[in-house]
Amino acid sequence: MRFLIVDDSSTMRRIIINTLNKLGYKEFHEAGNGREGVDKLAATPVDMVITDWNMPEMSGIDFIKAVRANAATKSLPVLMVTTNAAEDDIKEALRAGVNNYVVKPFTPDTIKEKIQSAMKA
Amino acid sequence: MTIPAELLSNLMSSTEEVFETMVFKPLVRMPPVETEVERKGANVVATVAFAGHRRGLVCIHSSVDAARNIAGAMLGMAEEEITSEIPDAMGEVANMVAGTFRNKLAAIEPASAIAVPTVTIGSDFSTKYLSAVRRARCPFEMEGQPISVELILTGEEAA
Repeated sequence: MRFLIVDDSSTMRRIIINTLNKLGYKEFHEAGNGREGVDKLAATPVDMVITDWNMPEMSGIDFIKAVRANAATKSLPVLMVTTNAAEDDIKEALRAGVNNYVVKPFTPDTIKEKIQSAMKA
Repeated sequence: MTIPAELLSNLMSSTEEVFETMVFKPLVRMPPVETEVERKGANVVATVAFAGHRRGLVCIHSSVDAARNIAGAMLGMAEEEITSEIPDAMGEVANMVAGTFRNKLAAIEPASAIAVPTVTIGSDFSTKYLSAVRRARCPFEMEGQPISVELILTGEEAA
């Protein structure tokens, strides 16, 4: 399974990749913001996107809207990993088109469960 | 006016959650103090501002050695391999602590929004605020190394 990880923090991208590695996943692509994420998706097919919310240039919410607006990526499972956990935040992310939502800090078990759930959605 | 104990309790538990889950290092909690942080030697300060129902800053203070220890643990790297990773790693710790703190407060009062983190690395410096602020520092020990989390609030206590 191929992942695109979109986060402006290289630390968080590394943590997510380390976590996915422990869960047995081996293929990852990275982008530092939503704009880079859109470019990466156009060039590199993936099976799931994991994105942050607060990023420069293009936020995670705008990135997800761009993914859903593109016929080639509109059905791609998208998982959002963020510190934003207020009820209004989650509603906004769901309206934008996320399949599932992980609040930082997280455990590997949480990521595993949310990936499985997003793949079924 | 001092900072309400409930806020400091939420900040301390937020910090402990982040360190246990993402840094894999438990913290030993010490009593909060309302004094300015003394920064002798090389230091790292990671700061996240928040605004909305409340306005202020959450600041993580550590030595460079403790920051290297934290970055190595988060990234799964040996401490001696850690060089340029410290600012981003400490910024992410501050982002998660401030975000968790913000989420705890959002459960009991109107939400505030947090900004992107800033990280300062230097020696023998202190921070001053031009307007009247309330500030309190929550010290911890992480494997014998002191770190602390400071809460700085501007304005009066929210109703």
